[in-house]
Amino acid sequence: MIRTVLLATAALAVTVTAASAQHAPTRRKVVESVTIRAPADKVWAVVGNPADATWIAHVVKAERVTDATKPTYRLTLDNGHTLVEESRKLDPEARSFAYYLVRNDVADLPANDYSATLSVVPEGDGAARVEWKAAFYRGYPNNDPPPALNDENSEKAVRAWIHASLETLKARLEKGGS
Amino acid sequence: MMQAARSMTVLPWARRPLPSPSAGKGGGRVVRQRLAVSLLLLAATPATAQEAIVTAQLGNAVEIVDLATKKILHTIPVAGAPAGIALSPDRSRAYVTRPEGHGVTVIDLESQKVLSELGLPGGPLGVGVNPKSGEVYVADWFAERVFVLRPTPEGVSLEGEIATGKSPSGIAVTPDGATLLVANRESDSVSVIDVASRKETRRIAVGSHPFGLTLSPDGTRAYTANVLSDDVSAIDIAAGRETGRVGTGQRPYVIAFAGGRGFVTDQYSNTVTAFDPATMRKLGTVDVGDHPEGIAATRDGNTVVVANWGDNSLSLIDPTSLTVTATIETGDGPRSFGDFLR
Repeated sequence: MIRTVLLATAALAVTVTAASAQHAPTRRKVVESVTIRAPADKVWAVVGNPADATWIAHVVKAERVTDATKPTYRLTLDNGHTLVEESRKLDPEARSFAYYLVRNDVADLPANDYSATLSVVPEGDGAARVEWKAAFYRGYPNNDPPPALNDENSEKAVRAWIHASLETLKARLEKGGS
Repeated sequence: MMQAARSMTVLPWARRPLPSPSAGKGGGRVVRQRLAVSLLLLAATPATAQEAIVTAQLGNAVEIVDLATKKILHTIPVAGAPAGIALSPDRSRAYVTRPEGHGVTVIDLESQKVLSELGLPGGPLGVGVNPKSGEVYVADWFAERVFVLRPTPEGVSLEGEIATGKSPSGIAVTPDGATLLVANRESDSVSVIDVASRKETRRIAVGSHPFGLTLSPDGTRAYTANVLSDDVSAIDIAAGRETGRVGTGQRPYVIAFAGGRGFVTDQYSNTVTAFDPATMRKLGTVDVGDHPEGIAATRDGNTVVVANWGDNSLSLIDPTSLTVTATIETGDGPRSFGDFLR
């Protein structure tokens, strides 16, 4: 499985191992939020469970990587590529989950050294606001980036992906499913 | 008038929590209070401004923040994603790097105005100033060189460059002005450079991807924050070798020293790790804001100031009690990578 993905990445000739690649000098920031008509605990039950990630756009499967030292999850995308995320901090009391990507293909997500924090804040009894705060460098690490991977378009793509994911989460939780 | 106002600014850091009967450590607190009083007396003489010069990288601005009133006094627009900062030896000028606008902006801190700009190739990021000559060194993130700039009445002029390792980042100059040290992020090393000949004389291996580089207050040791190995390396400059390492939080970035302790920002842990620079043992952690980056100690050593890139704020830390004493809002994406306290 891992070998297939590595081969696929190599074939694309866009090496993006966030852990070792050099990155652009300016980190970008995206903050998106959505208010969901569901109790905070119910929302957190999904957001705070990294193995339940199919509400995230293009993710079809999520599984825990068992041989990793830190809690690590492999998210399979609808094109067969993967995102691998490592937990920074999972704090049920604060209803906050912070992680970073140790592997992603810039063709899927135009970002390097991507890290994010998802948090759930109650808004009264029956609603909660989910905030997704992401930090990353543009898809192209060096000077003079191609348009698709420059600061502006990398940010636009990441924002669209986060926005779509939060809308899916809202639709799913408000429908009563979990 | 101005001088009197500035000396007042020491007050908030001199304050300590009042001894409480339940605390059980009254003795230590009394000592600290006496120390605070003596610091107050000391502060009455020199007019050291307590200001933080903040590079708000996403806000494309440089902000002058008064640490006493916790307010932004001036916002100076600087295009090109300002990131690195260093101050002239007399603290009257700030040299700010613009990695996207490719250059250096010189700011007159007395008039709070941009004095001039100098275009540079590559990705100017790390910056340091020679405390003796006032020469300015700017690291090119995309190459293997440091630019040498000479201060002029109008600003700076490009004098030459010095070869380093890959992705030079943090920069420091020894107090005698003779030795320049550069952290080579992609070469896992530190370049030791003879300032007079502008030649690298030694390369010292450290941890994985060193970014920030800070000298001990006496200038005999250098410390690097190793982003990928999650630790800090200690270097004996005279001996030219790494002498120890201490584990940090995730993605350590920049180091500062205060009260005999070392402090390093942990970008992914949202903490500052305190360590003993002599024994290289961890002393504790302080929760700060999101993605902490730049860190420095005030000249009186009573406060450690941290720029929280993700939260758009500064955290003020008491280096003795390891607690956050105040938080100040800033513009978008504060980095303040370098010597940013005046």
